[in-house]
Formats: sequence, C-alpha cells, structure tokens
Amino acid sequence: MLSYLLAVAVVALIYSLMTLALNLQFGFTGLINFGVVGFFAIGAYTSALLSQAGLPLELTLPCAALAAGLAAWPVALLSLRLRIEYFAIVMLGYAETIRLVISQEEWLTGGVRGLPGIASLSVGLGIPGDPTLVAFALALACVVGAVLVSRRLVHSPFGRMIQAIRDDEDAVRALGKSPGRFKVAVFVVSCLFVGLSGGLYAHYITYLAPDQFGALLTFYIWVAMILGGAGSVGGALVGSAILLGFIEGSRFLHDLLPGVSAVEMSSVRLGVIGLSMMLLMRFRPQGLLGGKAGCG
Amino acid sequence: MGFSLFANLAFNGLITGLVVSLLALSITLVFGIARFPNAAAGDVATVGAFAGLLGPLAGGGTLWIILCGMAAGALLSVAFYFLLFRPLAGKSAVSSLIASIGMAFFVRAALTFFLGHDQRVYPLPIVRAMPVGPLRVQPTDIEIVVAAVLALAAVFSILHLTPIGKRMRAVADNAELARVSGIRANRVLVAMWLIAGLLAGLSGTLLGVKTVVSPEMGWDLLMPAFAATILGTIGNPVGAVLGGVLIGLAQELSTPFVGFTYKLGVGFLVLLVTLLIRPQGLFAKNSLVR
Amino acid sequence: MERPVLSMRQVLLAAAGVAALGIASGQAFAAEPFLVGALNPVSGAGSPYGSGMQKAIAMAADEINADGGACGRQIQVVSEDTQTSPDAAVLAVKKLIDVNKVQVVMGTWSSGVTLAVMPITTAAGLPEMNTSGAPAISTEDKADLVWRFQATNGRFGQAFAKIAKERGFKRPATMAYNNASGLGNTEGFAKAWKEDGGKVVASVVYEPKQASYRSELQQILAANPDVVVMGSYLPDTTIILREWYQSGQNPDLKWIIPGWAANEKLVEALGPDVTQGVIAVDSISNENAPSYAHFAEAYKKATGQPAGSNVYAAMTYDMMVLWGLAMQADCSKLTPEAINGRIRGVDSASGDKVFTFAEGKKALEAGKAINYQGASSQLAFDQYGDVTPDFSLSVVEKGEIVRKSVVTIGK
Repeated sequence: MLSYLLAVAVVALIYSLMTLALNLQFGFTGLINFGVVGFFAIGAYTSALLSQAGLPLELTLPCAALAAGLAAWPVALLSLRLRIEYFAIVMLGYAETIRLVISQEEWLTGGVRGLPGIASLSVGLGIPGDPTLVAFALALACVVGAVLVSRRLVHSPFGRMIQAIRDDEDAVRALGKSPGRFKVAVFVVSCLFVGLSGGLYAHYITYLAPDQFGALLTFYIWVAMILGGAGSVGGALVGSAILLGFIEGSRFLHDLLPGVSAVEMSSVRLGVIGLSMMLLMRFRPQGLLGGKAGCG
Repeated sequence: MGFSLFANLAFNGLITGLVVSLLALSITLVFGIARFPNAAAGDVATVGAFAGLLGPLAGGGTLWIILCGMAAGALLSVAFYFLLFRPLAGKSAVSSLIASIGMAFFVRAALTFFLGHDQRVYPLPIVRAMPVGPLRVQPTDIEIVVAAVLALAAVFSILHLTPIGKRMRAVADNAELARVSGIRANRVLVAMWLIAGLLAGLSGTLLGVKTVVSPEMGWDLLMPAFAATILGTIGNPVGAVLGGVLIGLAQELSTPFVGFTYKLGVGFLVLLVTLLIRPQGLFAKNSLVR
Repeated sequence: MERPVLSMRQVLLAAAGVAALGIASGQAFAAEPFLVGALNPVSGAGSPYGSGMQKAIAMAADEINADGGACGRQIQVVSEDTQTSPDAAVLAVKKLIDVNKVQVVMGTWSSGVTLAVMPITTAAGLPEMNTSGAPAISTEDKADLVWRFQATNGRFGQAFAKIAKERGFKRPATMAYNNASGLGNTEGFAKAWKEDGGKVVASVVYEPKQASYRSELQQILAANPDVVVMGSYLPDTTIILREWYQSGQNPDLKWIIPGWAANEKLVEALGPDVTQGVIAVDSISNENAPSYAHFAEAYKKATGQPAGSNVYAAMTYDMMVLWGLAMQADCSKLTPEAINGRIRGVDSASGDKVFTFAEGKKALEAGKAINYQGASSQLAFDQYGDVTPDFSLSVVEKGEIVRKSVVTIGK
C-alpha cells in the first residue's frame, strides 16, 4: 500500500510543480496560461531525448527546465500585446501545436509511436533503491525548491511589484516601472518549473507519446490551482493532492459503488471535475484555503 | 490538375470553415456581450446534435433534425445562464471562463454517462454530389452555406434592426451605462443566450449531418471556433464567419505544401501572425466591443 | 479484497524461496489464493472490448478454480481499468502490484499502455500479457517477461498485402489515422507489398477529429487506385466512405479496412449501397479448435454477446488458462519468474495438444508434455513472445458482412 501511495504522491508532486507555476503566473500576475501542457511536453521530451543521447540525468533535467523556459519567452512577450482572453486562447492553440509537432517529427520524437525505454530516475541518476521512493524523494526535493523560490519571489520587492501589477497595472506604470518586464520574467521563471516537472514525469513514466499531452492535463492543473486557491503557495500543493486523491480514489470507489461500471465511472470522474469547477467559481472562487486573491 | 486541385481545396476549406463559423457566431455573441470566451459552446452544440436524433420522430428530413437541435441548444444555454453565468456576471471574465469549461466537462460527462460513447448517424439518405465545374457539390454543402448565410443575416438584423438588438449592443458597449439608462440587462442577456444556444444547436446538427454524432464532436470543434472568433475580433458576427472561412481556406490550401497532418497547425499560425500584426483581430472596427 | 499483511507475507515467502522444501510447501499454503491482475481498457478508446476482456479472464479463472485450482491454489482475479491511457495505467498497475500484491498482470490492450506498464512489471519481476500491436514491445522486452497474444501491426500489414494480391489488385493506395496502430497497419502493408514487387500509388496520413476528409480523399482518388488500404477507426471510416460515395468519383474503388472499423456499425451507419464490396480484415480466434468452441459457449453465457464480437476476449481467456497450466507444470516452484519460465513449456510444439485447463492439468499430472491450443490462436510463441494468429477476410454484400476465407500468413 505504501508503495502505491508513494506512486500516487509522485504524480501529485509532479502536478504540484505545475500548479505552483500556474499559481505564480495567474495568481500573482493575472496571466492566463492555458498552454501548461505544452511546456510540460517540451520538458518531458527534452529530458528524455537528451538522456537517450547519452547525457546524464543531472544535466538533462535542468535542460528540460531551460527548454521550457526558452519556449516560454516569446510567448511571454506576446502576452504583453494581447487581451488576456485572447492570450488564453492563443495558449491553447500553442500547446496543441506543440503536440502536433511532437506527433509529426518522428525522426526526433518517435512520433505517434512514442518514445519507449526512457531511463528511470533511479537508474538514470545511479541511485540504488526502490525506484518509486527515489522518484518521490526527488520530486519532493524539486517541489520544496520550487516552493522556496516561489516564496522568495512573492515576498521580494519584485514579488510585491508583480502583485501590484495584478491589482492595478496602470498605477505601476504611473510609478515609472514597466510591468511588461516583470510579467515576462515571472512567466519564464515559472515555466522553468513546468519544464522540470515534465522531465521528472518522463523519467518516472519512462514512456512518452503525444496522447499523454492533451489539453485535459492543463485543465487538471487549473482545477488543482483553483481548489487550493489562486495566489496561495501552500494551496497549490493541497489542490494537487486533492485532485490526485480524487482521480485515484475513484479507482477504489467502484468497490463501493458496484452499480456504476468503469465506463460510467470515467464519465463520473469528468463530471465531478466539471461540477467542482462550476461550484468553486460560483461559491468559493478564492479556493478551499485561498486568501483574498482568487479568481473573483 | 492545378486549378481544379486548388478550386476543390478552396471549396472544402469554405465548407469546413462555415461549420466552424456557426459555432464561432455563438461564441462571439457571448464574448461580445457577456464578455468571456464561452468554452461550453462546443458541448451545447453536441447536445444539439444528439437532440437532432429526435428529429425523425417529429418529422422527416434535415429540417426537423436542425429544429430539434436548435431547440435543445437554446434550452440548455438559457438554463445555464440562470444557474451559472448570471450569478457570475459581476466577477471577472476568468471566473466565467473556468466555469464554462466546467460546464463543458459536466455536459459531456452527463451525455456519455447516459448515452455511452458510440457514434450515431441521422437517418438521412446518402446521395451523390452534383458536378459544378471542377467541384462536386453535395446537398449537405448547400445546406451548410444556406444555414450560415441565414444565421449571419438573422444575427445581423437582430442586432441592428430590432429594439432588443439595440439594447444588446448598448450592453456590449458599456454595461454600466446601459443599466443607468434603464436597460434591463437581464432580458437582454436571456435573449442573447437564447440566440447563442440556437446557433450552437444549429452548428452541432449540421456537423452531425456532415459527419457522425459523437459525444466529443463539439469539444473538438471548439478550438477552431475560438480561433475564428478572435481572428475576426470578438463581438463581430461578420468577423466570426469570415474568420472561420479564412482559417478553413488557409488550412486546406496549405495541404499541398505542408501535408495533411500539419494543417491544424497552419490554422494556429494564421491566427498568431494576424494577432501579431493586429492584436484586436481583423475586424475591430465593426465589433460590438471597443 | 484487502488481506491481512501477515498472510501476504506468507504467500511471498512461499513464493520467494521455500521452494526448496519441495511439494510439501505447495500443499502447506494450498489455501492461499493465487492473485492475478486483470488490467483492461474498460473505459476510454478500448471500452468496446475492455469489459469483455475482463470477463474472459474471470471466466478462465473460474474454470481453473472449478477444477480444483492450479496446484491446489485458487485463482483470485483483481481487476483494474487502464482508461486506455498510459498515465492512468501506470498508477493502476502500481496499485495492482503494491496494494493487491498480484503476481502476474494480463490484458493490456493499446500499445501505449503496454509500453508504459512493461517497465514496471518487469522491475517487479512480474510477467505482462497484452494484446497490443506495436513492434517496440518485442524489442523492449529484454527479460522475456512480456507475452503478446495479438498479431503485431506488421503481421496485420502482411495479411492486408496477401489479401490485396489474392484479390488481384494492382494499384493500392493507403490512408492512415495518425496514430501508432493506423500507421503500423498501412506501413506494414506497404512494406510487405513492396517486398513482393508491388507499388503503392498514393498514401495519406490524416489527423483525426476533422469535419471533413475530402481533401485527403481527393489526393487518394487523383492517383486512381483500384483499392484503398485503411489504418482507421469507425468514426473517420464512416465519414471517409460517405464522402467518397457522395463524390461519385472512382465508384468501382474497393476498400480493405481493419475489422474494428469495418463492422456492423459501419454498415448500419452508411447502408448497403455505400458499403457494398468493402473488404474487412480482422485477426480471428482459433475458430476450428475445441478450445474456441468451449470458450465461445461460456462467453456467450457470461456476457450474452457472441464470442466473435470481441476477438480480444479470447486472447485474455488464453492468458489466464496458459498461466494456470504453467503453474500446474511444476507445483514446487510458484514464483512469478519460475512460472513465466514454464510458459513456453506448456506451449511446446512437441507436446500433446490440449484444449482446456482441465485437459492440460490431467496430462501434466500424468507426466506428459503439453501444447495448449488456445481459443484465440495456436499460440506457439516465437522468440519475442509473439503469436501469429489467423486473419479473416469478409466482404460486405447487400448490408451483410460475409466471411469469405481465412488467411494464414507465414510463420
């Protein structure tokens, strides 16, 4: 049981890295990133491909983060020119295009057939022991690191600046500061987290295919962030844990609800996610433990 | 071969573009007046397409299928306005957007829970196309063109010729000012969601006539419809239709050069380049929103 | 399903090393059920098959149990849903291994799921049995712990090529849904066809979920093929065939389509005129074997469905039976690895042919070597742990799908 819980926890941690990033982007600057899964895919494939080319994981994981950050940079510049709703839709298209490129460029990515046999974290890093435990420790370390970085960002003068941007962009501009530079910086830094989480994912699942990078994952991360409360660093972790707890918990549910078939259960899963998005927005936009920020 | 090939590609692009346009028309109305991108539009279209399966019970032919679909779309749309979007009206656009994604998931989940994942088809005869020059025109193509033209004309005349349309434009322009001048936003919004639902139902049934009815069909149509909406500038009905057609044309005409699998990426590229040059979209001038 | 930890330890202990104690230990723990993980695509893209596959595993387990179990051990099946998604499958298989402590995992369907599950089962030293088509499964299986009960994509392609040749087609074109299976089938066809000296006049790969495939179709029709070989699924096939018929172009064109797309639902959607002459190819069960008759009857009883409606169910049934026989072959060593090592032994070409678990058990107890003839195929695993099933060729005639012949490809 413990090992399985660890396995679920690894995925929850990988998700919470993304949730933290989204939290920085949306919760602190108001940027709507509906392309999370695109940066996740870039991180995953970068690390997987580099490791298959013979690089050690100590190098490929930072490269995964960097690649996602690089891909985020032009996008961040674009965000300055567009209305936020436009940006949201463009990001959806961006992520979808990345998935398309991955499925077409077979010479590089293995295309729709996928990329099997990726080194696992324990093998790739040469750490002996239970692979799940190794993955858990590593993911936990990354999340702790990301939390520390997030907290520093939020409480630094820089952080106060980005919160000011969210609250009143014009006032910031009136003070002679350029909100644009801050937004770009936040977007790129947080996409580093997403890239890193992609790298961890690649070496945890050890098999990658374009199907794994559909838009649904982006919405999962949004749900996790909203659950925990936009703008709350701790909330990002709690939100991911609740989300994964629910998705995996539904596995055990069919022992309790024998009348519901597994096919129906997949509908129930999607329905509950949808319902919780509606109810949260309607009744508790600040999230379950969010502060005053929220989506309201 | 050259001319005939491109003429055919252009025609295919026009027809697929118009199917997308109808959903974009629904989205652009909501975007222009209620001020958020309604991600549930696609799944309202799906419900419309499924309701269209009841058409043969009411009477034969495509018309009854479409009418059933439009009615279901309108009902669902108005119901969710009262349950969900009206209470969210005072909050940010992002709240409504996320709630609409939730609604999309919920509606699809309900459909698959009760009806399963199997594809369905309308019981319509399959007929051969008429040759028109190098083109082969199917009855479905004509229906789609007619529906799109009528829908656009109807939306345009409602907005510009009727009192409720005038109030809609006033609300779109400045909700606060409209309220102060005594316009009852509630009635305007009910009318707007009703029309948006009718349009979504129409697009869903036409897509069902052209392809097959399945629970994912509307969600899959959403992305191109969003792209068409912002390409043509939100709140601009003519822009939405032209945006859909433009993306359709660009996608199909690009296939001799980039291959078939990349054509969806071409649609995105067109959108991106346009927004880089004109961040408001192509037709910002005639938009409801300024 | 939850079991006391102590007895779990006992099972593992027994499995891990007490083998030295010989048959006595097997009897000492005779009361302990042997745990099998059924990991099937109950929801998602594989949902038309998943429930039947799960049912078939349970059916085989019941048969084994009714015969007194394998080595006196009752088989207990724990089922999980892969949701036809690698992510969900990874967590599901971890649950099966860590929470339920299963000793073998069987019944994964899509290649992506199998490729994601394999490293985990292999690391745990457990065998994995699947019905996936991707060639990579064979090459990634370095520990010989993975068994494939379905034809590879390449073999599907060979069957397509053989049928196209037999039917006298000269100018084939291909259309493939852009995923591993779609490409695998059409590329497998093209390879086999070209090796035979033929030429493919046009080939198109398309993205799914489109409102129209007319442009794709147009490119195919422009090359004037006499047959189109498809690697496709039901919704896209429905739309493509309808658009072809409506266009009125190449009205004599024939279609070779995999059985999962060219089925009753396709005929129902398009009617007899459009589907007239469509050639459906599917891997088929070992239809003339007594094991199949036995399975088909039980399956019909358990699910109300004909066995022919779910070719994968027979495969998962065979997985369980074969595993039971491999257990029975040497009751002194019941570790997953030891049982895995005996799979080829109960599928041995020189052994006595047996068709059910009960027959096999009897023969084994009499000290004979056996060759289980499966309900899905003769099995006869090759060096990669792959099988070579037969294929059926059916043609749609006036709205009926009529079986024309059984196609056997070179072993």
